[in-house]
Amino acid sequence: MTVEALAAAVVAACEAEGVEHMVTGAFAYSLYGIPRSTKDVDVVVSLPSGEPLRRVTARLANLVEFEAQVQFDTLTWGRRQVGTMRGSPPHIVELFELFDDPFVQAQFARRRKMFSPQLGCTTWLPTPEDVVVQKLRWGRNKDLDDARDVLAVQGPETLDMGYIRRWCATHGTTERLEAALAGIPPL
Amino acid sequence: MPNIHDDPAALKALQDQIYRENILRARAMTEEQRLAEALELTNEVFSRMHTGAMWQTGTTDSEQGWREVRRRLDRLRRTHDHGRFADQKPAGR
Repeated sequence: MTVEALAAAVVAACEAEGVEHMVTGAFAYSLYGIPRSTKDVDVVVSLPSGEPLRRVTARLANLVEFEAQVQFDTLTWGRRQVGTMRGSPPHIVELFELFDDPFVQAQFARRRKMFSPQLGCTTWLPTPEDVVVQKLRWGRNKDLDDARDVLAVQGPETLDMGYIRRWCATHGTTERLEAALAGIPPL
Repeated sequence: MPNIHDDPAALKALQDQIYRENILRARAMTEEQRLAEALELTNEVFSRMHTGAMWQTGTTDSEQGWREVRRRLDRLRRTHDHGRFADQKPAGR
């Protein structure tokens, strides 16, 4: 099964359960940056308070084996559930629950609807500004490269830099933003 | 012939030139084209990982090759996640 078929299955599971979602990670990055490969399908899901993520994972049970243990990211303490495709290739699915972090909420509220011919369905994706803010916030080397690439490919002049700067100030990542901007070569 | 790795300034200029070309190429593509290329790269990379795992383990069994890819990716993910994800939320969070 291809990675796009898996992504389409995850989107379909969310739709079937009436769960609002947003495809993030490398899928979102590649829309706005320099295309690169990925190992996983990352999706943010919005569940009504107290609703278990199990509703979505059960829909995918034939396709994906989810770990029993839910995990928390140590930056924002958001919940994540990881699963690996049962067949081959062993693509990974990561489901992130939408929670009450102000940026995560804003990012989800600003998501854009898009029909993807590759996925064969309509899905939701973050804006390029939110991809940059998110990547700078995570701050791993790969994330910082991704943020710089999106800024470079989109061009700061086409982005809402005021929005990006406001969130970077809130997150204490302004220095990372300046370093990313400085890393863009003259074009 | 001089080795560019012995000349940091020339190496940096070459890296910048390659990066600039990558940016300009991506700029010339539509969102749809960029996503399509990323998906193609991903499927190709998995295929190569599978071929490499089979060769390294000396097997002709395709399923065994995929099991080895799965094992390696699992180790890689746990390495990348170390310190960034926890099984428990601290009290008060």
